[in-house]
Amino acid sequence: MRSLVMGACLSALLLGGGVTAVQADETCNSPFTAALIKGQEEYLHVWTLGMKGLGDESDKLVTIDVIPGSATYGKVVNTISVGGRGEAHHMGFTDDRRYLWAGRLDDNKIFVFDIQDPANPKLHKTITDLADKTGFVGPHTFYALPGRVAVQALSNSKDHTGKTGIIVFSNQGEIVSTHPMPGTEMGGDAYGYDIGINPNQNVMLTSSFTGWTNYMMDLGTLVKDADAMKNFGNTMAVWDYKSMKPIKVLSVPGAPLEIRWSLKPGDDWALTATALTSKIWLVRKDDKGEWQAKDVATVGDPAKIPLPVDISIAADGKHLWVNTFMDGSTRLFDISNPEAPKQVYTKKIGNQVNMVSQSWDGKRVYFTTSLLGNWDKKGEENDQFLKLYDWDGKELQERFKVDFVALKLGRAHHMKFSARPNSKAIGSTMEVYRSLLN
Amino acid sequence: MKALARAVFVAAVFAGLGVAAGGALSGSASRQAGHTKLTSPLGLPPVPEKYAVLPVDKIELGRKLFFDRRLSFNNTLSCAMCHIEEDAFASTQSKRAIGMEGLTLRRNTPSVLNSVYQKTLFHDGHESHLDLQVWLPLLAADEMANPSMGYVLDRIEGLDDYKARFERVYAAEGISIHSVGDAIAAYEATLLSGNSRFDRWHFGGEKQILTKSEMAGFEIFTGKGGCSSCHLIGKDAALFTDHLFHNTGIGYRASMHSDREYVIPLAPGVETRMLRHEIDAFGEKLRNDVGRFEVTLNEDDRWAYKTPSLRNVSRTPPYMHDGSVATLEDVVEYYSSGEAAKHATNGKLKRLDLTPVERANLVAFLKTLDGDDRGRR
Repeated sequence: MRSLVMGACLSALLLGGGVTAVQADETCNSPFTAALIKGQEEYLHVWTLGMKGLGDESDKLVTIDVIPGSATYGKVVNTISVGGRGEAHHMGFTDDRRYLWAGRLDDNKIFVFDIQDPANPKLHKTITDLADKTGFVGPHTFYALPGRVAVQALSNSKDHTGKTGIIVFSNQGEIVSTHPMPGTEMGGDAYGYDIGINPNQNVMLTSSFTGWTNYMMDLGTLVKDADAMKNFGNTMAVWDYKSMKPIKVLSVPGAPLEIRWSLKPGDDWALTATALTSKIWLVRKDDKGEWQAKDVATVGDPAKIPLPVDISIAADGKHLWVNTFMDGSTRLFDISNPEAPKQVYTKKIGNQVNMVSQSWDGKRVYFTTSLLGNWDKKGEENDQFLKLYDWDGKELQERFKVDFVALKLGRAHHMKFSARPNSKAIGSTMEVYRSLLN
Repeated sequence: MKALARAVFVAAVFAGLGVAAGGALSGSASRQAGHTKLTSPLGLPPVPEKYAVLPVDKIELGRKLFFDRRLSFNNTLSCAMCHIEEDAFASTQSKRAIGMEGLTLRRNTPSVLNSVYQKTLFHDGHESHLDLQVWLPLLAADEMANPSMGYVLDRIEGLDDYKARFERVYAAEGISIHSVGDAIAAYEATLLSGNSRFDRWHFGGEKQILTKSEMAGFEIFTGKGGCSSCHLIGKDAALFTDHLFHNTGIGYRASMHSDREYVIPLAPGVETRMLRHEIDAFGEKLRNDVGRFEVTLNEDDRWAYKTPSLRNVSRTPPYMHDGSVATLEDVVEYYSSGEAAKHATNGKLKRLDLTPVERANLVAFLKTLDGDDRGRR
């Protein structure tokens, strides 16, 4: 009850109190995340899929020291194996940044890591009853709300299609509410993927991917299955964030995935990329104040299914990194005019590449390789690594590589930065909320 | 040791009672309270005696086990996650079933409806006992992936909500290899689907219930198309199967032909095309499948698969043992155009050369085979 009141209080403060939208990310965290790391990140946590035949074969949280000059710079300093392979995927902080929630899309376990000592995370709690309690499966996005964590699921326990919903947990791991995705009654497909909130506009955007059957299936088998290929989301939904009610469904064909609001003060637009149709879409209000989605750029040659996957927006809203999984390349788009993004740079990172995370100042860009256990390439093509590059505005220069196969770790997937509690790296945008939480 | 003791016990039960362990349900049982007598709907033969009268508690226990995801190694899969109730207890989402950790099974999910009448189970017929069948998916590494029978029994024993239920139905035996399979088989036996529009027309005497097109399709089915030579229609009932195994060319084509082009839908109205070898560059290669030959080692059984029942066929796309044919129209075209005759190696299939109207009528007839489902939750 206390946390519910606190959550309501914080929401009111953010929505009604006219607080400027808190700049998010390094650079994709929820705007409600405290202690953004605006300086040098110190540790990188990689949620890693166990790989059959490699090491202990278990999913694990891998922590890497990224403090320049440190004796263990660029080295793995901690691993926590959580047991089994459950399709480890994405992570997200609680709003106070004390805990890191990490989900598995197959067995629906949610692992809550205490990262107070970021060099030595501890497994604090495991949530195992998501499917039983909600009927939703595939916990994907973990998005901090005040005193809460919103979890976007991908599927359901009844038929493993993409029909799903959002579950709101308290920071302590209790389910507070559930919210089904908008279905045909609103022109939606009931699918889910990512969450992106703009508190200034009281708007939450969601995107849509596919259900368990497709995301667990081998990618080659999937593209040879024309009917299964039709089971992808083709919409985004606009929600009234405060009431958690969907208010409009936008047509965005071809599996719109990551949602990134521009972080530049005064901007009220977001971008997404569609994995199957290889487009960048802009979501913003039209002249009449209606939210609309617009196809604004093409990524690579859509006929070859380059699969744009993760994207990372610069804090100043001027550039967007777009990774294309199939050709293992990253592409930088100039989005100064979000109506017409232009590709200005490309570089091959490996045989495959999925996630991209840039530092707040955009000078460091991290890449990992794994997309989904059964979507990753096979044999020699199955690169699994973390790479850090320096970005000088013209060229990516590789700083270090951690080979997750050579180190017997597994498939490198989602990344999150952390820093020691008194680090100078941490920004100070959330003091007001932290004082309330304390 | 515990599991071994159980296995010995079950073997003794089987040895003593014959394989019809469920035969504990004698005729007198039907007169006892708390039992259900299964009467077959119009168009289906009588329910086999072994399952004709079943304790209600046993059916309920089997239903609970059938839908319970906790029976898979990672709590993700149940019988019902592939045999989806709303999809006529088949799966329409993918060509082949998707199992443990997303592994692709070799074959399409068959419907469980009317499985009580099947003489063999699975597309290649490698099991013949309904009450033993469940142990194969429970233990298969690419399905529910439990490491052993004892592991499954221990897990059920460790779940609070099963103990009393097993004691009620299997007082002396408790949770055992036999009782788990027997309870699930009892539930599956209740999943009967008949009384289709075809049944009402053909067996029920409702002569006006089919359209002219559907009736013309029936004529193709039993005449020019030759469909009923394998998909049998009996005098009083029809299961639309001869229970035999035939090579219709689908398996041969998959095993022996190396490349083909795939049309890949990317979004409504947007598609691209890729060759199989291009897709294989990033995906898994198909596991080979030689059908019934794998069970009998008889050369004549190469790429032969069991004749599926056609009941509810419109509700269970995609088609063929590997789900490689998307629609009923495509199935009819496959046989009509001579593709089947070209790839089938036994020479029994002929090019049909059906006209477009005949093909449409045949599809219309097939859609009259949707039944009403009993035993649903």
